[in-house]
Amino acid sequence: MEDTEKKIKILIADDSEMNRAILAEMLGEGYEILEAVDGEEALACLDRCGSEISLVLLDIVMPNLDGFGVLARMNQTKQIEEIPVIMISAEDGAEAIRRAYNLGISDYISRPFDMEVVRKRVTNTLMLYAKQKQLLEMVAEQVYEKQKSNTLMVNILSHIVEFRNGESGLHVIHVHMITKLLLEYIRLKTDRYSLSDSDIELIAMASALHDIGKIAIPDEILNKPGRLTDEEFKVMKTHAAMGASMLEDLPVAQGEPLVRYSYEICRWHHERYDGRGYPDGLKGDEIPISAQAVGLADVYDALTSERVYKKAFTHEKALEMIVKGECGAFSPFLLESLTELADTIREEVEKGPADYSGEVKVNIERAEKMLKERQRKGEAR
Amino acid sequence: MTLKEAYEGLGGDYDEVLSRLPSERLVKKFALKFLEDDNYGKLEAAMAGGDRESAFRAAHTIKGVCQNLAFNRLGASVSVLTEALRESWPENAGELFAPVREDYEVTKAVLSRFAKETVS
Repeated sequence: MEDTEKKIKILIADDSEMNRAILAEMLGEGYEILEAVDGEEALACLDRCGSEISLVLLDIVMPNLDGFGVLARMNQTKQIEEIPVIMISAEDGAEAIRRAYNLGISDYISRPFDMEVVRKRVTNTLMLYAKQKQLLEMVAEQVYEKQKSNTLMVNILSHIVEFRNGESGLHVIHVHMITKLLLEYIRLKTDRYSLSDSDIELIAMASALHDIGKIAIPDEILNKPGRLTDEEFKVMKTHAAMGASMLEDLPVAQGEPLVRYSYEICRWHHERYDGRGYPDGLKGDEIPISAQAVGLADVYDALTSERVYKKAFTHEKALEMIVKGECGAFSPFLLESLTELADTIREEVEKGPADYSGEVKVNIERAEKMLKERQRKGEAR
Repeated sequence: MTLKEAYEGLGGDYDEVLSRLPSERLVKKFALKFLEDDNYGKLEAAMAGGDRESAFRAAHTIKGVCQNLAFNRLGASVSVLTEALRESWPENAGELFAPVREDYEVTKAVLSRFAKETVS
């Protein structure tokens, strides 16, 4: 029982039953052999079984769709990157072999088939791919582990800041989620900010530090239930520059991207797109995208949460207030992105932090589909 | 008739095939399977109907099978036909097909006799 489940699947695509039978016989009992009589069947089989298939032995001259057609489709679907293909063809012209290599085959077995050679080539190719896959998984796992403990440290640190602030630890998590969603979505819409995967990770992580400057604000002001006087508000506003200078004074890690983003975010998350924010009165895209995104995420979450001085607004009300410019001033592009992402953001925030690991992948994939749909309609119009 | 004798009769290289498919049982199994293969029928029909593409594909497949089984005589004549059919319909199509037919008939006759003797 275990046997049939664990056997490696190999697809043999060849229009000659005889050749398929010879190959299957040569490979022996160790594999589960799938057979296709032409290119179309091969593609159907690849669609059906996908990455369950560990290797394809592909003939070139076949009716309906030939081997080159199969390779072309596997390139389109990127299956060629995951599933190795060994070409088996009586087609011995150098031209055909070159063309097949250019389409991504891993190896070429010429006729007549030699059992020893077929077996060796098949096992070698399988092993190479298995090793490569294993290495990729190991690297991904390590990166993930490292990221996880980094995120944890940053969250602990920012929770301490919030703790004093009387805010729930949720704020940091929400700002992280929303910042990440916003940046991922912005990147889908434009390459103007040239955001790499790692930029987005770092900015989202650094977002947790946006209010660290508040540890320098006296308790009576920080936790005052009523309205702040002008004088008190002035003190409160210093938290932005304060946080930035703490980072500037860090004895280590100056020049690290994480520190640089944290600095931008601390100092400029209260700037306004119209230039009337603080501490520097930066205007438009003078404000780094990191600070713009975190600033917007911060405002949204502040509005939809209860604070000592206010009740929570609904998601819709908060959006409306932000878009109308009643709460900060943001770039029209960012507001457009926020509006388009609104449902996704609400869903992500409502899901709660229970299993939040910094991943917003599923949602961003859905948002991407929506965006494409929108762009398609826009073009059609 | 032994399998080796059958190979001699149809113009194949028994030692060569045995070096690649290292058991007489396998060679015999596939050699006999050649009788069931319908590509020759397809080739004949396509040649008669002037269907170049189908004729090319069938000839090409037979060529591949012959290579695998070391049926060298039929392999040689069908290989010539395959190349002639690759780009366009050859003027001397009939001339090129004649040796293929002849070699196929001999191969089939020898294998049939071998099959009958092996079974009985």
